Amino acid sequence: MSAFLIRRLLRFVVVCFGVSLVTFSILHASGDPIALIMPEAPEADRVQLRVALGLSDPLPTQFVRFVTNAARGNFGNSFFHREPAFRLVVERMPTTLGLTCLAVALAIAVALPVGIYSAVRRNTVSDHAATAVVFLGQSMPVFWIGIMLMLLFAVQWRLLPVSGWDSWASMVLPAVTLGAFTTPLFMRIIRSSMLEVINLDYVRTARAKGVSEWLVICRHALRNAALPIVTVIGLQFGLLLSGAVLTETVFAVPGVGRLIVGAIRQLDFPIVQAGVFLFAIIIVSVNFLVDVLYVYLNPTIRLR
Amino acid sequence: MKRWLLGLVALTLAALAVPLGAAAQGKDTLTIALPSHAPTLDPHMHFERVGVLVNINMFDSLLHRSAKLEFEPSLALSWKALNDTTWEFKLRRGVKFHDGSIMTAEDVRFSFDRVLEPGKEKKKSPQYGNVRAIKEVKIVDADTIQLITDKPFPLLLERLVYFGIVPKKHVEKVGEEAFGSTATVGTGPWKLVEWKRDQHIRLEAFDQHWRGKPAFKYVVFRAIPEVATAVAELKTGGVDIIRNVNADLMPDIKAHLQTRISTTPILRVHYISLDMRSAPFEKKAARQAANYAIDKQAVVEKMMAGLGRQVATVVQPAAFGFDPSVTPYPHDPKKAKELLAQAGYPNGFDITLHSSAVDWRPHFEALGQMLTEVGLRTTVKMWDPGPAWNKFFQAEGKATHGQYGSWGNYSVFDADAVLHPLYHTEPGGWIGKHYARVEGLDRLIDEARSSVDQPKRKRIYAEIQRMIREEAPSVFLFTQNDTLGISKKVAYEARPDEWLWLFAAKPVN
Repeated sequence: MSAFLIRRLLRFVVVCFGVSLVTFSILHASGDPIALIMPEAPEADRVQLRVALGLSDPLPTQFVRFVTNAARGNFGNSFFHREPAFRLVVERMPTTLGLTCLAVALAIAVALPVGIYSAVRRNTVSDHAATAVVFLGQSMPVFWIGIMLMLLFAVQWRLLPVSGWDSWASMVLPAVTLGAFTTPLFMRIIRSSMLEVINLDYVRTARAKGVSEWLVICRHALRNAALPIVTVIGLQFGLLLSGAVLTETVFAVPGVGRLIVGAIRQLDFPIVQAGVFLFAIIIVSVNFLVDVLYVYLNPTIRLR
Repeated sequence: MKRWLLGLVALTLAALAVPLGAAAQGKDTLTIALPSHAPTLDPHMHFERVGVLVNINMFDSLLHRSAKLEFEPSLALSWKALNDTTWEFKLRRGVKFHDGSIMTAEDVRFSFDRVLEPGKEKKKSPQYGNVRAIKEVKIVDADTIQLITDKPFPLLLERLVYFGIVPKKHVEKVGEEAFGSTATVGTGPWKLVEWKRDQHIRLEAFDQHWRGKPAFKYVVFRAIPEVATAVAELKTGGVDIIRNVNADLMPDIKAHLQTRISTTPILRVHYISLDMRSAPFEKKAARQAANYAIDKQAVVEKMMAGLGRQVATVVQPAAFGFDPSVTPYPHDPKKAKELLAQAGYPNGFDITLHSSAVDWRPHFEALGQMLTEVGLRTTVKMWDPGPAWNKFFQAEGKATHGQYGSWGNYSVFDADAVLHPLYHTEPGGWIGKHYARVEGLDRLIDEARSSVDQPKRKRIYAEIQRMIREEAPSVFLFTQNDTLGISKKVAYEARPDEWLWLFAAKPVN
């Protein structure tokens, strides 16, 4: 177990370094933030600011400085907000994580029963109907679903607030929108992994012993079908974080995604770097949790 | 099982019902949708329109500008030029800051000094460039100050319309960071209650404001990045005013029972800057050909719902120095082809035009098509605003034929505010230094800039307009409107300077 942890930690460091390098390179290739901060200023003033922000040094020097500071949790001050970038990102993280977790919970709550139902009743009309809905759901872009839900539930029927993030009601539409993005995939995975186990011997044996169908599915089949499901949920978590970017923009949710989009538009390097870095940490952690869950779900798996 | 389900449903309904009741707003609150919030509430430490719109309702400047664009007394009761470089201002007496203290000449000087930072090498305010001409702020007596500029600076009064006066003692006590976020204090009609970043800025009427009480007790600026969301909020009463309504959204807002449109021409002019250093636009005839090729009226009518006006040059009717005797190029494709042949390109020429004006892509493509029809076979290239800036304004020496864009003059109603950035070739200038090469134009711009003799400036600007119309360093296109979507419960009209001066807003019963 400790060897596993050490190996994981090393891999974590490598991932973080890689993410930083890629983000750093892309950002510096994408333009000059000074031109955006001072659009009409004389060149002398720009040079001054460039020196002050450390942007006049050679790129390798800048990168080394960035990495050494980042290792201490210091991502520098945001060019625009003039506050520590890391603090600005961390402040907004609970909102984004909350939205993502709500969406995952919603997606599981819908996908689990429907997926199981589809597997048990495979190749019936209801299974095909579910598959059709899946394809439809997956073909719709997040922002479009968001705007359609908003038009129906907020503008037409006035059931929910249009946007914002200040009451439970205001969280419903963003969570449903983001959840809708991932529900179809969960459903397909649950259906196919259930199909794999549902006709195996031990399931048939359980049935033969007279265990109720409900128990057979939940205790015997689902537990064994859970591995791929958990894996996909772990992987999807990262995708959902990125989906939160669009959802937050559509519903005016004050999260990290919106902050990063704004920062990219303004070439506010420190915020983008801090944000991407934090996302990377979260995704790596979630995947670590998934690995640990494996052991719990299937005791024959050893962590190495 | 069933009881459990019932409980869940009841709980959900309860959770939904409570905030819905709370969200209902009384008539004492005016809610504005902005695409984002500025990084600070400190009026001197940002350079963003969304921040200015909030600040003007919390801070007063020495001068105010009426909806008809005339200067009005604000914190200064009167002003006059003592000579070419000295302006004297009489201050209003007894004006109170939100913390109860009285505004003094010291506060005025402090406000300028924190932007000018005399003696300091590095200036931290992004607005420094606006007022850098001010050399000294002199306190004559308790009610009189003088602003001394290093050379004649005709734009001084324009710059003072947005220059908030802040309380010296308070800023020194709470520090810059708190002043820009939680402890913002001005003399304006509303004071800060709460700022939740990326959510809302909530203001409350200041009952000792010198103009009297505003009609709305509360003002809320919500940050809503997506236009469709802002429109949905407007229709459902979640917000009362939205800005920058595009032509395609207008019918929807007009048709709705509870919303209306208010539109006005603004100081934003569209143009294609032509690269005068290389073929084909090094030749005057080719540049004129491009101007004859464009059917400006068609673009305004078909693509902008008629909300725009074709222009003769980049100087607009509302700006000081506009000369109505200079007329727009007519749409004349035949003449354009002749001129192109005259320039030495009877078989046309392949050009590439660039733009970062994402919202105007369809218009840009239509313009490219019109140029193609007369033989200037145009490839249009759209850039993300960040990298585009880099491409055009950093990489000098790279011929790019031209750039389509618009210039908003920073809402300064003077010909200089558009001529200098677009055509002056001095290093550190804006587009001009890359593209424009008009003999004698720099000298004229400088001459008009360094005089406070308004009739003389007017004569110079008339000359410049005739000159650039003939030389055609740009394809001169059209102006645009600013269009607000407004709730029918609120009386307010759009202003030509794009300000949201909410003291003028009233509830409608």
